[in-house]
Amino acid sequence: MKRSSLSRRRFLGTTVLGAAALASPAYLRRAHAQGGEVNVWTYANFVPDSFREQFEAETGIKVNIRLVDDQGKQFNLLAAEAPNPTADIVTVAGHRFLQFISSELIAPLDTDRLGNWGNINPTFSESDWATIDGSKWGAPILSGMEILAYNTDVVSAEEARSWDVLFADKYAKQTAYIIQDMMSIIMLKLGYDGNMVAYLDDHDKAAEIVEEAKQYLIDRKPLVRKYYDSGAEVQQMFINQDIVVGHAWNGPIATLINDGFPVDMTIPQEGSYGFVYTYNVANNAPNPDNAYTFLDAILASSEIGASMTRASGFISTYKGAAEHLTELERKSTAFTDEELAGLRFFRAEANELKYGLVDPAVEAIKAA
Amino acid sequence: MHSGRGPQAMTPGNSFVPGQNRDKEMTGAGEPTGWGKLVGFAPYRALVSLIYASPRRQFLFLAAFPAIWVLTQHLGPIIQMLFVSFTEAYPLSKGAETQFTLDNYRRFFAESFYWVPFFRTLAFATAFTVTTLIITYPIAYFLTRYVSRRNQLLLLLLLLIPFWVGEIVRTYAIMILLGNNGAVNLLLKSLGLIERPIPFMYTGFSVGIGIIYLTSLYMLLPLYSALEKLPRSYADAAADLGAGALTRFRRITLPLTLEGIASGCILVFLISTGFYGTPVLLGGPSTTVFAETIAGFFFVAGDEWPTGAAFATIMFITVLVLIGSFQRIMTALRKGDTR
Repeated sequence: MKRSSLSRRRFLGTTVLGAAALASPAYLRRAHAQGGEVNVWTYANFVPDSFREQFEAETGIKVNIRLVDDQGKQFNLLAAEAPNPTADIVTVAGHRFLQFISSELIAPLDTDRLGNWGNINPTFSESDWATIDGSKWGAPILSGMEILAYNTDVVSAEEARSWDVLFADKYAKQTAYIIQDMMSIIMLKLGYDGNMVAYLDDHDKAAEIVEEAKQYLIDRKPLVRKYYDSGAEVQQMFINQDIVVGHAWNGPIATLINDGFPVDMTIPQEGSYGFVYTYNVANNAPNPDNAYTFLDAILASSEIGASMTRASGFISTYKGAAEHLTELERKSTAFTDEELAGLRFFRAEANELKYGLVDPAVEAIKAA
Repeated sequence: MHSGRGPQAMTPGNSFVPGQNRDKEMTGAGEPTGWGKLVGFAPYRALVSLIYASPRRQFLFLAAFPAIWVLTQHLGPIIQMLFVSFTEAYPLSKGAETQFTLDNYRRFFAESFYWVPFFRTLAFATAFTVTTLIITYPIAYFLTRYVSRRNQLLLLLLLLIPFWVGEIVRTYAIMILLGNNGAVNLLLKSLGLIERPIPFMYTGFSVGIGIIYLTSLYMLLPLYSALEKLPRSYADAAADLGAGALTRFRRITLPLTLEGIASGCILVFLISTGFYGTPVLLGGPSTTVFAETIAGFFFVAGDEWPTGAAFATIMFITVLVLIGSFQRIMTALRKGDTR
């Protein structure tokens, strides 16, 4: 019963949104009807259906979406197609820029061609990670973070103040996490730099820290129910009551909150990591003009940003997007100042060192 | 409307004389049909003459398409995987040249934690194959011995219905069944048999249920075929000679259905070793299989594809050896029976 009423609410929400979009001033009029197509590789719900329909109607450009669910997989697919990719736009997390840039997979972004660039909150568009080699490489669209999610019928807000609740005997076999991401969080919880930038000149120390985090998770392996990968999995586990507490990205959990499920999320006191998704133009993209038309159109209005938040659960990077959200939607994407104080962004400088150590550690934990 | 004269001229045993049918087409009433035009088309006639000049050419022509299919769609990817497994980096970055190495294979033998999912996969596949055989053999036996021919087809159709949807959808059905809030736990709770849900999901049990459910048909059909071919009179004759039910099964039915058992076991074992989606969705922290390890190398960005390819090759060769050994054992068993 609950599921069907949620579907109805979603349906009504989508219908209202679609109607609002159609009734709104044509924010795409600037884009002259030019036809052709644009190929976008992105996560589920990152391109709102209402925007896509209106964009196609206004410009005659067909939007072909190929879903991705993993940054590494997207990198490999793009690398396999280089130097003649089929993608025009890809969706790269800010902390993965370096990898895509050094492999010449994405092109510098010509922000002069984006009249709506100013609609992005400067916190995201002008951050230090956003500029590399003097160029911008992507248009920030959504922001996410690693959070602790918990079933409010079972776990108290007080218990959820620390990552320790994930490893409490009380909730043994009722927890889940993305093991690769948890390695960074455990390093942070143990008092180290989970980005490993601090150990770029001390590889032995880096190896020692990864070993400590690995052993921490191996010792607590009997307590975990599931190492998962996708947002849909953690949603499923909460709905099915297979878990009562878990590590997750905020997007899938915000969606559960908005669906009325008794779940909440927090950034525990030990801190956590955040990331920003950006739209990027692929190097040697087959339809670069259409790519820029698409980017400028999707940045055109804070309402689009709000609908992206509503569909994905991630926080919009657009100025004023929150004004278009309901109170519940705002609540599901907001954190207190105290929580945000513990948040830091993933960084890419030490990725080679970090993942060279973390990837084998993850395999060892799985095998242990 | 074309009369089909053209195709008749092409049937085996009916010697083809270029131009003969064309004359018939041309002298018939009205304009030549599409087929008639094709037969009269000079390059077509030359091609047909070339192909049908000798039985050997006919054979080569017919064999060419399946051979191309097997080479490009079956052997091609395997050869490519082998090639990638010996390279230092793949895909190559701009301007880089292919360098060959054995390090990708050494990595498997050097790191013992890779052996756990490898041997777990083989153990799981063996256990699931044996369990599937034990579950499906009585079903196939019941179908062929106690169900009328007409109803047999109906029951087989019913068993086929779940296979009309994909692996992932069927796996989600298992999740709905076995979850803490799933049908099985709700039923047990409503019967008052449990107070707290039994954690079926994310265990070896849930992976086993999923894989057996997904592969049972691949075991059932060869068994059904083998049992269906076995004349009932054999068992009747054995009974007349005083053999009990168990002896009849052990001495008659089982040996004469070994071929079906071998085919079913090979199919299920091969599929079980390669399953990826089901263990990912139904498995837990202690059920990681080798396909997940291999997939990890392809998901991770960078130069990990060669390692993934090497690991896939190791599993491929191991499975080939195991299947080869199994087939030899089954052949020996069958020969032993006929002596």
